[in-house]
Parts: sequence; C-alpha cells; structure tokens
Amino acid sequence: MRYLMMSKQSDTTPDETLFVEMGKFIEELTASGVLLATGGLEPSGVRLVSTGGEISVTDGPFAEAKEAVVGFALVEVRSKEEAIELGRRFRKIVGDGESVIQQVFGP
Amino acid sequence: MISGWRRPGLPADPGGAVIVAVTDTHRSIDAVWKLESAKIIAGLTRLVRDVGLAEELAQDALVAALEQWPDTGVPDNPGAWLMAIAKRRAIDHIRRAQRLERKQEQLAHELDQQRDEPEQEPERDDVLRLMFISCHPVLPTQERVALTLRLLGGLTAEEIARAFLSTEPRIAQRIAGAKRTLAQERVPFELPDGAELAERLSSVLEVIYLIFNEGYSATSGDDLMRPGLCLEALRIGRLLAELSPHEAEVHGLVALMEIQASRSAARTGPSGEPVQLHEQNRGRWDPLLIRRGFSAMLRARDLGGRPGPYVLQAAIAVCHAQARTAEATDWPQIAALYDALSRLLPTPIVQLNRAVAVGMARGPEAGLALVDALVDDPALRDYHLLPGVRGDLLVRLGRHAEARPEFERAASLARNVAERAFLRRRADAIAEEEPAGVTLGQAAEDFLARPELDAATVRSYGQTMRRLCLRLGERLPLASLTADQVARVFATDWGGAAAKTWNRHRSAVRSFCAFVSLDDLAAGLDRRAETRPPTATIDPAGLAALWDPGLPLRERTLWRLLHESAARVTAVLSLDIEHLDLDDRRARAGETWVSWRAETARLLPQLIAGRARGPLFLADRRPAPARMPAAADLCPETGRRRLSYERAEYLFKQATKALDPTGNGYTLRQLRPREPGRR
Repeated sequence: MRYLMMSKQSDTTPDETLFVEMGKFIEELTASGVLLATGGLEPSGVRLVSTGGEISVTDGPFAEAKEAVVGFALVEVRSKEEAIELGRRFRKIVGDGESVIQQVFGP
Repeated sequence: MISGWRRPGLPADPGGAVIVAVTDTHRSIDAVWKLESAKIIAGLTRLVRDVGLAEELAQDALVAALEQWPDTGVPDNPGAWLMAIAKRRAIDHIRRAQRLERKQEQLAHELDQQRDEPEQEPERDDVLRLMFISCHPVLPTQERVALTLRLLGGLTAEEIARAFLSTEPRIAQRIAGAKRTLAQERVPFELPDGAELAERLSSVLEVIYLIFNEGYSATSGDDLMRPGLCLEALRIGRLLAELSPHEAEVHGLVALMEIQASRSAARTGPSGEPVQLHEQNRGRWDPLLIRRGFSAMLRARDLGGRPGPYVLQAAIAVCHAQARTAEATDWPQIAALYDALSRLLPTPIVQLNRAVAVGMARGPEAGLALVDALVDDPALRDYHLLPGVRGDLLVRLGRHAEARPEFERAASLARNVAERAFLRRRADAIAEEEPAGVTLGQAAEDFLARPELDAATVRSYGQTMRRLCLRLGERLPLASLTADQVARVFATDWGGAAAKTWNRHRSAVRSFCAFVSLDDLAAGLDRRAETRPPTATIDPAGLAALWDPGLPLRERTLWRLLHESAARVTAVLSLDIEHLDLDDRRARAGETWVSWRAETARLLPQLIAGRARGPLFLADRRPAPARMPAAADLCPETGRRRLSYERAEYLFKQATKALDPTGNGYTLRQLRPREPGRR
C-alpha cells in the first residue's frame, strides 16, 4: 500500500547537519525500495476555486502559511504502522513541526 | 470480579485502553522489525558466522523489544536498539562457546578483530552477503524462497504460509531445513567473485523473480494476485540493485518487475477475471512504476555488455509499456527480442511466448506452426496456456471448431479459479457445432459405467481415460481418434513411467477399443517388459536396531510379526483382534494363516491392551467425518481406523533411513526373511 506524507511549513531553519541526515535518510529509503517519489513544494502556490461553474485563480502566498504543505514523500509500505514509523524517523530529523500521512488509493 | 472489570458500553474503560495501546505497540514493533531485521541478521551473521544462530539471536532481541517497548515506548532509534541487544547476546554466545572450548585467548583476539572489521566491511555488503546465502544453490528452491522472505523480508512463517497458501508448520520446517543445510555445508559468509559470482547472482535473481511471480500470477487459489508478495520481491530487488549496481541483469530484473507491477490494477476486471494485455485499459497502468522501470532499464543499458535474459525480458516489457494502444505495439521488435531470448533461454515457456509474438508480428499461421512444435513437450503437458494460446491462434485463423476444445482443455488445466472461469467463457463464446457422432468423452463415460467393472478397475481405467480426454479433448469425435494420437499422449505422459504403469494404461486402451469396436488404438504402444529386482533383505545388524524397545510399540509389533510370520504385509495389516489365537500363535487372515513366534507373542498382549475386537493395528488418529472407512476397518472401542499400508510403509521408511546405505529407507516387504531355495 502507498502512503503520501506531507509536511507543513515550520519555523526551524535547516542547517548543515539536517541536510546531511536527510540526504542519508532519503538514500536509505530509496535503497530499501520504499521511497517512490519525494520533493519539496513552493510554499505560496496558486489557488483554484470553482463556484457555480466559475473558476477563480489566485496567486499565493496565503494568510494561513502554517497550513501550507512544503514537502511530500510517496512511500510503498506493508502497513500503516510502517508508514508511521518512517514518518517518525523523518520528524526526528527535521525537528518541530507537523506532517500528515494519508493512504493513497489507485491508480 | 472479572465480569465487572470490563463493563460493556463503556468505551473509555481503562482496561480496554491499555489493551489497545499494547496491540498498537506490537504492530509498531512488527513494522520496525520488518524494516530492520535484514540489516540486524546480516550484521549478526558476520559476527557468529551462522545464519541460523544469527536469526535466533535477532529473534531474542525482538522478544526483548516486545517485553520492554510496551512499557517504555518505542526508543528513538529502534533499529540501533535491536542491534545493540542482539550484538550483546551474540558476544555472550561466542564467549560461552569459546569458554567451552577453552580458547579464551583466541576469543579475545577474534573479538578485537571483529571490532575492527565494521570499518573495513560496510554494513550494506552484509545484507548483500545475506542475500547470497539465503539463495545459495545448496538449498532446494522452495527453501531458498522461504528463507529469503524470512531473512530479507522479515516475514513470519505464518505470513509466508498465508502468501503461498501453505501451512505454518510446513514453512517453518522449510526454513529450519535450510538453516540446517547451510550450517552442515559450512556455507561461508563471503561475497562470491569471478565466475561464481555470475552463477550465484542468477540464483538470487531467480528467487526474487519466483517470489514476484507467485504474487503476480498466483498459480492457485481464488485471487489472481497476491500483491504482498509482489511488493516484497520489488523491495528486495530494488535493494539488490542498490547494493550491486554494476550488474546489468539486476537492473533488468528490477525493470521487468516494475513494469509488470505497473499493470497490476489493469489486469483484473471488476469481478476478478483476468484481462489480457492487449485488452487492458492502458490508462490504469501506473505511470510511476513504468517510469521507475524505464530508468532501471536505462541503467542496465548503460552498463553495456550482451543483454542477459532479464534485460531481454525487461526490453519486451518496455516495448509493451511504450505502446499507447494495443494496436501500436511494436510486434516485430518484440518477436526479435523473443528470438534472442529463446536462444539464451530455450525453455518451453519462452518458446510459447515467442509463438504469441510471432503470431502477432508475422501472422497466426506462423505462430501456430511454433505452437504445434511444442504440443508434445512433456514440460508443457499440464500448462493451461499452451491450449489457451493455440485456441487463440485458431480463432484468428477462423478455425473455430478446433479452437473450442482447446479452450475447454485450457480451462480444465488452469488451477486458478478466475483464470479457469475466463477460459471457460472463451470456450462458450464459440458457437458449439453439433459434434459428428459420439465424442471421446461420451464413449469414455459409457465405457466406465458398465456394471461388470469392479471399483478398482473403474479407478484404474478412469485414470487412463481422463488423461486421454484431457490431452485430446472430450469433444473429439471418436471416429477421428487415431492410434498415432494415443501413442503421442502415451509418449509425453507416461514415456518415463514404470513398465507396470505403462502396461496398465495400455491394457485400459485395449479394453476401450474392444468396447467401442474400434481397430486397435494401442497399435503404436508396445508392451513393456516388467522386471522386478529381487527384494534385498535387511542385514542382521539392521534388524537388531529395529527391535530397539525405545521405538513405538505398534511399529515394533508390526515389524516383528512381519519378520517372524513371513506373511504378506496386506495380510498382516488386515488382522482383527477377534481372529487372533494367542495360545496357538496364529491368526486367520482371509484364506491364509499368519503364524508368529516368541517375540511377537510377547508384544501382542501389550498392543491389544484389553481391546476385544476390531483391527489389530490402528492409525494414530480418528478419521475425519468425510473420510469414514468401512465398519470393518474401524475400531469399535477407540474409533480409530485400521493402519493403512501407505502409512505403515512411510513410518518404516522413515525409521530405517539411517540404516539403509542408499539413504532411502527399507520397505516393509524387506522384513520378510528369504526362504531357502526361493528367489
């Protein structure tokens, strides 16, 4: 089963050690065949809203910056617990902040 | 007290909450274990040089985690925690073993050395070594598969059993057997090099692909796929590609698996039926996996060299994945790749796939010619896709009447339920023509239904007729059946069988010919000479070992009785207690008498143990309700059934394996002493 892990904006500024540790972590997950895709996201983004068939497009950034997703990882795991365990390891490296893990259905 | 402890309707009950927390932790521990166990076991194996022991030590660490983590919580670095505990146990173990051998000095030295080693030997190579060990050629394939899932995937015996529709004890036995063999053969924990590397690597690739295929095209059972196994194989394959990046075949295998897995959602329909590649909705192929497959393929290509079997198969998969529609498939290219593959790997299955590709690239006529060359291959005789492919080509040639029996045959050979139903539907889709006259199936049915045949004959003839119907098709008009067709079935199916088996089937065919008043269909079948080698008796030393009072009473009595009476095994097993004459030391068995001497006479009362009637020799267990034997074979007192010849023979073989120089074990018949003057 696949899970998408999304991480939200946090206050901690990444330092050298974080980059090294994160690099190691990603390398390990790739090697063990778990990590299918990962990437960082532009925090501001573009918002599309449809109301009554009308679609409005607004450029970011938006007020609730804390809620913006700034990174994702798509993992292929055996169980929800395995996804949580990977999430724990990720959070341990990046420090304070918030991630959300959701199962991916399909394709 | 206990009933008041958990009140129903109160979800916030503290007891319940604790239970939930414990199982949650257990599930987290299981997840950690599956992520870490390969690394831990590999590291320990370097320390103790014995995979079996390493796994036990790692299991000890897991048990410690199960005991402590529910209270203390999962530690910050659970993998390191498990490894530290396991390593401590390993060092304790080495110390203990060495102390026994009074070689403490050497121990200190070795431990020092081992402490230095981690710098020289990086951890990742340990996992690679572990893969080579668990796929070692000294192990039978089934054991390699089970051990690999166990050691590299961290799966329990129960999980492996579920994936392979087997039982937990059988898988546990396989794993234990594999570990024993590895220890006995002293398989070193080294990376093979040179020519050996290629051979050993191909064994690893074979095991991974076997696991993948078992998941991808489940050979039996109700579901067409068991995705868990595909995932395990993919993970181990991706890991291997990372550990062994300079081997093109590894990347080829990964590419092949990624692309095949990309189609998994599209290859079953809404009710679980298989959807063939050219009918699949390509929009449902997983682009992510296809892309991963393509990049693995590029890596393989960059390494250069002559493409091996996995790279070629991956190249074929890439061709399919690149086609936006089924019609856009580059069949000439695929046929060319199959030509190359069948030169490297001339297996019947590859030839069959090549026939499909050629059928698409150069027309059904050309494909059918290749399939027809395979029809008599014994390796494919029970392979449902052979008649399936043949039926397909015949449909495309407009030869519907011939295609239908092929699909029927394919359906009867398919072991997977969804696949069988699909083939059955393909057969039914072809309008049935009224068969001209009697069919082979009907004639066989009438032949077996005659009242003058006894049950044993019906069973024996039934085997022959069923095989003929399966191979030639039930709907084959009887009039068109030729001696040549019969001879071909005999050659592929019973060519290698014992003379006795061959002759039994031959006489069934002859009897059938007489019944349907046809010319001799057995004309092409020669009677084979049956020679039975004289039964060797067991030497006195071997016999003496059998009378060991430590062996089970029933077995000892049976063997003594056979030896002393020189009676037939069936006669002895048919003895009933009420027919024993203990004083005269003889018993009636049908038409004959069985008589014994002092040793049997001493054992018999113990075996009878107060029973008054029923079979003398009883099976260990009561029969299942569905397999209730005749009343005469059932003990009225214990409810157990009469000991069968097969079981008695099996037990004797097991007990005498160590005595028999050939290692096969003796047969009960060999207990009979050779009569002077009789051969």
